[in-house]
Amino acid sequence: MPLSRRSFLNGLAETAPFSAALVAARGREASLLEPASVEPPTPADPAEIRIDSNENPLGPGRAAMEALTRAFQDAGRYPTNARPSMGDLRQTVARRLSVRPENVVLGSGSWEVLKTAVRLYTSSSRHLVTAAPTFEQPERTAEQLGVPVTRIPVDKDGRLDLDKMAQAARWAGLVFFCNPNNPTGTLHSARAVADFVARIRRESPETAILIDEAYHDYVTDPGYATALPLALEHPGVFITRTLSKAYGMAGLRVGYAVGQARTIEAFSRWAITFNQNSLAVAAAVASLNDPAHIEAECARNAEARLFTARYFKDKGYKVWDSQTNFVFVEIARPAREFKSACAKHKVMVGRDFPPLEGTHARVSLGTMDEMKRATEVFSQVLGTARAGAGAAHDSATPKK
Amino acid sequence: MSFTRRAFVRTLGIGGASVLAARRSAGAGLLQLQGSTPAERPLLLHNNENPLGPGQAVLDAVRASLGEGGPAGRYTYRRVAELHEAIAQKFGASPENVVSGCGSTQILRSAVQVFTSPDKPLVAGQLTYEECAGYAELIGTPVRAIPLDRTLKLDLGAMADAAKGAGLLFLNNPNNPTALLHGGDAVSACIDRVLTASPDTTILIDEAYHDYVTDKAHRTQVPTALKNPRVIVARTFSKAHGMAGMRMGYALGHPDTVKKIGDWDGANALNVPAVVAAIASIRDQARLDAERDRNTAARQFTIDWFAKAGFVSTDSQTNFLFVNIKRPVKEFREACRAQGVLVARDFPPFENSHVRISIGTLDEMKRATDVFGKVLGVKAKAA
Repeated sequence: MPLSRRSFLNGLAETAPFSAALVAARGREASLLEPASVEPPTPADPAEIRIDSNENPLGPGRAAMEALTRAFQDAGRYPTNARPSMGDLRQTVARRLSVRPENVVLGSGSWEVLKTAVRLYTSSSRHLVTAAPTFEQPERTAEQLGVPVTRIPVDKDGRLDLDKMAQAARWAGLVFFCNPNNPTGTLHSARAVADFVARIRRESPETAILIDEAYHDYVTDPGYATALPLALEHPGVFITRTLSKAYGMAGLRVGYAVGQARTIEAFSRWAITFNQNSLAVAAAVASLNDPAHIEAECARNAEARLFTARYFKDKGYKVWDSQTNFVFVEIARPAREFKSACAKHKVMVGRDFPPLEGTHARVSLGTMDEMKRATEVFSQVLGTARAGAGAAHDSATPKK
Repeated sequence: MSFTRRAFVRTLGIGGASVLAARRSAGAGLLQLQGSTPAERPLLLHNNENPLGPGQAVLDAVRASLGEGGPAGRYTYRRVAELHEAIAQKFGASPENVVSGCGSTQILRSAVQVFTSPDKPLVAGQLTYEECAGYAELIGTPVRAIPLDRTLKLDLGAMADAAKGAGLLFLNNPNNPTALLHGGDAVSACIDRVLTASPDTTILIDEAYHDYVTDKAHRTQVPTALKNPRVIVARTFSKAHGMAGMRMGYALGHPDTVKKIGDWDGANALNVPAVVAAIASIRDQARLDAERDRNTAARQFTIDWFAKAGFVSTDSQTNFLFVNIKRPVKEFREACRAQGVLVARDFPPFENSHVRISIGTLDEMKRATDVFGKVLGVKAKAA
């Protein structure tokens, strides 16, 4: 090991405690979904509470950070040569899920596999079925490619309308099913997912189904189960996961898709060459081998979620049942108004989510301490701001 | 173009290209890595990596980011803007002239995506870095592959002729895997010819190995790219900057052209430590100069060794050699691997004569040439 590398590692050990904030990259989603021309955010303010992007406020665990640090020894090597390598990460994911490496494809965040899915399965004559509101990446890609998009509104409980989505799936190229759903936070049970998949397979066998389980690790509802068995059972059905949420690695870009080997092979062909960086690979391998940390993170989040949901309910605001690390609240006024009022108090909450931007706001969950401070701000803002659901159209310019 | 780089990566993908290392770690269990120094591995002279990795300034910057906590990592976008500013400053350009990507590979793909189509082909050398052609195949863009000339150089005249009606012309200068350079005048003449004969064709010059060039005839095409919307120059942090594992590349061009490329994927694939590292590295010209000198000495040593042993290398302007070993590369490669030295894969149509060998440290090249000597049956130490 070159001398400089050794002194770097020693130096890191002395820099205690090091922070995981760098790799958690809070605020990332909010920034990425802005148009490219937007002004860069104002300089960092340590007093800010960033609860706008569904990131883990603590970043990755210590094992991941230590592995990341050690990985600098191989920073000059391609991620296939580094130790651990991209192949090692693929194997680790496979082992955690009890599948074969051939069932797994890595992405530079799940963003990359979502984009690939739209490219593989849709066309100008095979539309994309998605929900409204839901995570917008697939429909954005569809728009870039000139693929028609059918958006099915969520039901009155904020849940994806599986019946209408299945109807719309006839002749579709791809159905995007985010479970639990971002930004509504709700989920469908294992049984409902299985029925949904079976129905589409029966009524429109050529239609692929992408089940995005980005928030899987945060679910506490006992009726939920991963759709992984369905992905392994059916061709053209696959799940995606990300290490940007519970694993706290939004800044490192690790995601993956799992499905039948033949389905996954097509994704591999489209993957960006060397789509993992060696630091992320090392951190991800360590993290996947540290399930206790994820359990603790899930428990920590559930506590902050309960506190925050209860706060809104006590105040008389309707909150859909969140199974994620954010809550979606009917604040009965435009999200933008609430967002900018909170921002004045250095609390950053979520952006607009059409078609509910006139009534609902998404609040990501920070630490319990952050949520206590944030809810004090919410009380001030909601107590003083003019309740104006009727004014929704003033600010209803969807960011697309 | 059946054996693309992508296919290569995929083939070896599960264990990584370092087959031996992967096999070892698979057997030993991954967690065994924790807390221990990794075991010895073969000399990796197969992927054109910088054997020293990034410089001290990079290590310090990343260390500071990891250590500072809180604010250091919160604003990804601010860091990307800062990176584009730093790159622009180095080239006397403005941030609107810069796009960054997950390695220059992502930028190459995006360029093929936005500038080619089924009726606007890609033009590339028959033997060159395959990313563009591989991606063109995926999206159904025809590829006009132009064979090298008799000196193994890219045939600029034939490429310019073929560019008529094409969407994109890809020019890797110096070229991988032949290591050969076209001088600034020749490249400029080629660009002028394409722009005149086929004004709708975009020209992508990949200068991945720019920092290793020692030939005085070399001239970067960045100034042309900044002025002309039809010319883009791609660079990478994977070679002289020593950051292949971190995944960062960039391109410079006219703001309209750069925006088209950047809008395709956005900044979604950029990782934060790489952005921090790249900002430090782009400002550290002294490290790049030292790295070039180090590479030049190790490169010359290796070229001389082969020459004395009776094997001719091309005039390498990169961190690798393309050597005529006068035998099938496969058997040479396997024999070297058995002795702990990895050299590159086959590059048809030269798979029976020329091997690509990346340049490690001088010490590594001394060890490697000992092995080459044994494998090639060279009697005495030639160098």
